[in-house]
Amino acid sequence: MSPTVIEVKDICKTYFMAGGTSQSVLKHVNFTIHSGEFVAIMGHSGSGKSTLMNILGCLDRPTSGEYLLEGQNVANLSDADMAKIRGKRIGFVFQNFNLLMKRTLADNVSLPLIYQNVSASARREKAFQLLEHVGLKGYEDRLPTQISGGMQQRVAIARSLVNDPAIIFADEPTGNLDTRTSNEIMDLFTDLNKQGITIVLVTHEEDIADYAKRLIMIVDGQIQYDGLRGEYKP
Amino acid sequence: MIFQILKEAWISISAYKMRSFLTMLGIVIGVAAVVMMVAAGQTVQNEITKTFDSMGTNLIIIAPAQTVSGGVRGGRGKPTASFDDVESLRSLPDVETASYVVVTAAQAVFGNNNYGVQIFGTTPEYLKVGNWEIETGIPFTEKDVKAGKPYVLIGQTVVDELFGLQNPIGKTLRLKGKPFTVIGVLKEKGDNLMGDDQDNIVMMPVTTVRQRLKGSNRPQYADIAFVKVTQEDKMETVSRRIEYQLRARHHLKEGTENDFSLHLMTDMVEKVRQIGFILSMLLAAIASISLVVGSIGIMNMMLVSVTERTREIGTRKALGAPNRWIMVQFLAEAILISFIGSFVGMILGVVLSQVAGRLYDYDVPISIWSVVISASVAIIVGIISGALPARKAMRLDPIEALRYQ
Repeated sequence: MSPTVIEVKDICKTYFMAGGTSQSVLKHVNFTIHSGEFVAIMGHSGSGKSTLMNILGCLDRPTSGEYLLEGQNVANLSDADMAKIRGKRIGFVFQNFNLLMKRTLADNVSLPLIYQNVSASARREKAFQLLEHVGLKGYEDRLPTQISGGMQQRVAIARSLVNDPAIIFADEPTGNLDTRTSNEIMDLFTDLNKQGITIVLVTHEEDIADYAKRLIMIVDGQIQYDGLRGEYKP
Repeated sequence: MIFQILKEAWISISAYKMRSFLTMLGIVIGVAAVVMMVAAGQTVQNEITKTFDSMGTNLIIIAPAQTVSGGVRGGRGKPTASFDDVESLRSLPDVETASYVVVTAAQAVFGNNNYGVQIFGTTPEYLKVGNWEIETGIPFTEKDVKAGKPYVLIGQTVVDELFGLQNPIGKTLRLKGKPFTVIGVLKEKGDNLMGDDQDNIVMMPVTTVRQRLKGSNRPQYADIAFVKVTQEDKMETVSRRIEYQLRARHHLKEGTENDFSLHLMTDMVEKVRQIGFILSMLLAAIASISLVVGSIGIMNMMLVSVTERTREIGTRKALGAPNRWIMVQFLAEAILISFIGSFVGMILGVVLSQVAGRLYDYDVPISIWSVVISASVAIIVGIISGALPARKAMRLDPIEALRYQ
């Protein structure tokens, strides 16, 4: 068995609201993700999948429970330490790409490395290498406004790879793309996964989830199904 | 890392050129205004100092005391320093020289021209005391004083008004119908602090004035006397010695008031300089109001920028930017704007004040203050106006920020 990347133990997330009411968004969630897996997390809006994603991405903390990322408990780290983990061990791909519009593609790809004090020449070299990897060789000094949405998402994927992360979180990565481009992007993810990169995909689209091998279905803050994508029967 | 932050700040600023330029303009105008006002203040101070230098600063002036009758102080009393009094002061320690003046005025006539002039009856020493130089010709001598010779030295204004382009040396002008021979022309001095023309002057031996122009029942007394002190720091000491000497010579008993008054030129210079300094500070203070307005402009722009770039901030945070980095980045943008603004403002201020100086014929100093002011403005304004927006950016929750549309 390949090494464990993520281990979630009994995680709960409760939002406390003014007036003393509270709302449980995640209830006793448990699962493990191993290196090289391609997991789709599915659920309807309001199911808690985004909250789970934020906790897994070290953007948020669980109310209770343990979250081990590569064996380190990151559930209760300080803001600064969480930022460090995000910068070094996690790659993000967002629905709306979130590229910096005034920077070149190469600058966008290498952006996370700025916060790791990597030299400008090393950053640029790495950015060129990754842009080539996602099929954008020759576009290094273009601006995001000069390329299509599908290409922008490729840039974002290159950016998520720049810090050699333990895992990539893709949050509805095809939500803003047409079907053909969506399939191209998903093919790219599949390729990356074949090269050994661990990917967690959050989506509500059945056919996008089909690209993943494993499915975690969230309903009302609880895992309703966790197993092979092909064996899931709604 | 600092270089990286500055580079990021520069890219962000240059991404919104028009907005950044207009924001900078506030600081440019503010700093330029302060630099120009300080330059104006310093020019005034310099002009004052120059005027005093033209009269000599190490001077003690002996004037008549104020009259007192029935406890009421009136105007200046009768002249109380005699020629001999003043001569006796020359031998005091630390006194370079001393002289005295009998002042009058008359209409000077030469050919078809006439002009109202001020007349100083004095001794050859007065040239030294009053920092006068001879432009052409020769001064009168002690001998001429003793003999009461009708020799006069005239100022540049008198030359212009009476002689025009003619050489006045050797010519005879008339005062109250009496002839006087011009033996020398005094070098130009310009106006004094009250705006009086110092070059409208006819200087002659004091005896000549007494005999021909201004008789007196006390002919051996001066209207005003001057003592030139060797060094500025001896002014107080010499002043006390003069007081002692004159009281003794005037046989004043203990407890009676002086029948003369002493004025130290250094005190006057100091007072006027202080006024000049206060003036320039006041001008600068008024000008700095525009700096306050300018820095509010920066703060406003930065706050808009933080809101506009909420998604960018969220992205950066998600990609591992520490809060500190985000804060420093926005602070750096504010500082960079104010830095460029103050640099341009400093140059503009210096250039404009030099141009104004040329236009109005003043020597305007380029002072180290303009650099000090603009550098401190750059940092202080940048930090103050950047702090609030930077804090706001730092505190953004990355999850909220990423969701922001």
